[in-house]
Amino acid sequence: MAATEKTISAEKGSGETTRDQRSFIELCKKTGDVVVVEKEVDWDMELGAISRRATETDGPAVYFKNIKDYPGQGYFVNPISTWRRAALTLGLPAHARIPEIYAEYIRRDSNQIPPTLVKDAVCRDVIIKGKDLDVTTLATPMIHHGDGGRYLGTWCIVVSKDPETGWVNWGTYRFMVHNAQYLSGWPFSPSHFGFMLKQFVNHNKPMPVAIAIGADESSHLASTSSTRKGRDEATLAGGLAGHSIEIAQCLDSDLTFPANAEVVLEGEIFPDKIAMEGPYSEYPGYRSGEMGAGILMKVNTICHKKNPILSMDCTGFKDCSSVVTALGGGIGVQRKLEKAGLPVTGVYIPSEGAVHLFIIGVEKGKGGRETTERVLNELTQNRTYATKILVVEDDIDIFNLGEVIHAWSTRCHSGRGTIIKHVEGGAQQLTPCYNTDERMRRAGAVAAFDVSFPPSWDPTEVPMKARFAEVYPKEIQEKVLANWKAYGF
Amino acid sequence: MCHLKHLKDLQDGAKRVITIRDLSPGKHKYLARVARVEVSRSPEALEKWDKLWAYSVVGRMDPKPWGMKVVEELGLFVPGQPYSDIYESMAKM
Repeated sequence: MAATEKTISAEKGSGETTRDQRSFIELCKKTGDVVVVEKEVDWDMELGAISRRATETDGPAVYFKNIKDYPGQGYFVNPISTWRRAALTLGLPAHARIPEIYAEYIRRDSNQIPPTLVKDAVCRDVIIKGKDLDVTTLATPMIHHGDGGRYLGTWCIVVSKDPETGWVNWGTYRFMVHNAQYLSGWPFSPSHFGFMLKQFVNHNKPMPVAIAIGADESSHLASTSSTRKGRDEATLAGGLAGHSIEIAQCLDSDLTFPANAEVVLEGEIFPDKIAMEGPYSEYPGYRSGEMGAGILMKVNTICHKKNPILSMDCTGFKDCSSVVTALGGGIGVQRKLEKAGLPVTGVYIPSEGAVHLFIIGVEKGKGGRETTERVLNELTQNRTYATKILVVEDDIDIFNLGEVIHAWSTRCHSGRGTIIKHVEGGAQQLTPCYNTDERMRRAGAVAAFDVSFPPSWDPTEVPMKARFAEVYPKEIQEKVLANWKAYGF
Repeated sequence: MCHLKHLKDLQDGAKRVITIRDLSPGKHKYLARVARVEVSRSPEALEKWDKLWAYSVVGRMDPKPWGMKVVEELGLFVPGQPYSDIYESMAKM
């Protein structure tokens, strides 16, 4: 049975969330979800290699305490690259099932709490400005061999503000070290950040920006969410946390960031200067995409806690992006489809699909090509992340990839069940299979698969599953289950 | 090191504007600057000039290094609007 909100057995009124990164690390220690590395590691690829391997083996998060050249600084890596740590972030037990995690996110999202502005910030132990400022005083890893440079911003909250409306955006975008006082970055140009930046560029003015690193996981999770324009991620973070997030104002601008962040860089984005950015191994699990088309930030102030712990997502196959986008993005997709009147029962964006595969559950008997086409059209109106969409009826558990693959392999007619739509202007430039021309035009294609038996078929003639629960009378099933151990199993 | 849109963009004896990343050990490893350079794979260049490792647009390393001589330092960045193609911008310098 596909998991739906109605069938979810999530704990109601679930547990407390952690208020900052350090307490989340302590929680992960208790649940066995972090490895603390005391041995000295080299920031130049060794730290990245350890992190990458840990990610690919669905391993624990990693807390590096001893980084060559950077005594006293630490790194917390892969904070939410598993469903276990997503559960912990939302105050659930680590073993909570994926449908329970979705339900808890939705519950907290429905009870958003505005932030509280405070005077002090954790990061103000050390303040560096002017000619002494050098971003390499922060332990910044060369994460992968062949990357364009050392990436400081991977699990970060980039703060920007709309000059017309005052809307403050928190987003997670990549930034790398260009030189001692400059970072280059690549917030996807159709992103909310890109939308705001365009307004400054149109007036040839620099855009104030702040990058917060090592904040509480609720704030980071909110920062990665897919939200509509104008929505305030700090308020969403409060809902996810279950308490108001304390925010502090930057020293150089009125931008606000989580006051518990360990490191904050303040600066401005140039409207008229650029620098090399990328390549970078990204969430699709490849190093591809639009390279050398980034933005340039002048860093004017660095604030950090004494002996800061920075945060990092070891981007690539099965990284934090793939889990958090599956979570927030999946809920966003479900809401969009429900609003369009589609009979959706659940959405799963499996991390193995690197945000390129969406599995949409619909009510039994309401699948079919027409429904699939409507789903495809809804999900290709604006930004298009998925390149494959499976529409399955809810007798299939969308969170069970084995069941989904079986259903897709057997129920989807390769001819009449496959719909291809070409898109222009909203495709994801990081999609590895797109060529250079497609990436420049943000063009691509999405294939939607109708994974259902046609609704027009006589129900008594629809193929019957050859499964234990289907092809035996109830009394036989009960007898077998009751005697399972007695049989010797 | 440098990244190139196409590895073949480097030609023996030719000059080109690139973004160079310093591979000297230490905390400033990988910091960048823009320069006009001449490259060559002649034995003399490989022996006497700085060594340049070229990487493709997706970060694949050319296993054969170049000898590199800086002809003109061009500062830290390049004129251009956000999201514009830096390779094209550097080519115009």
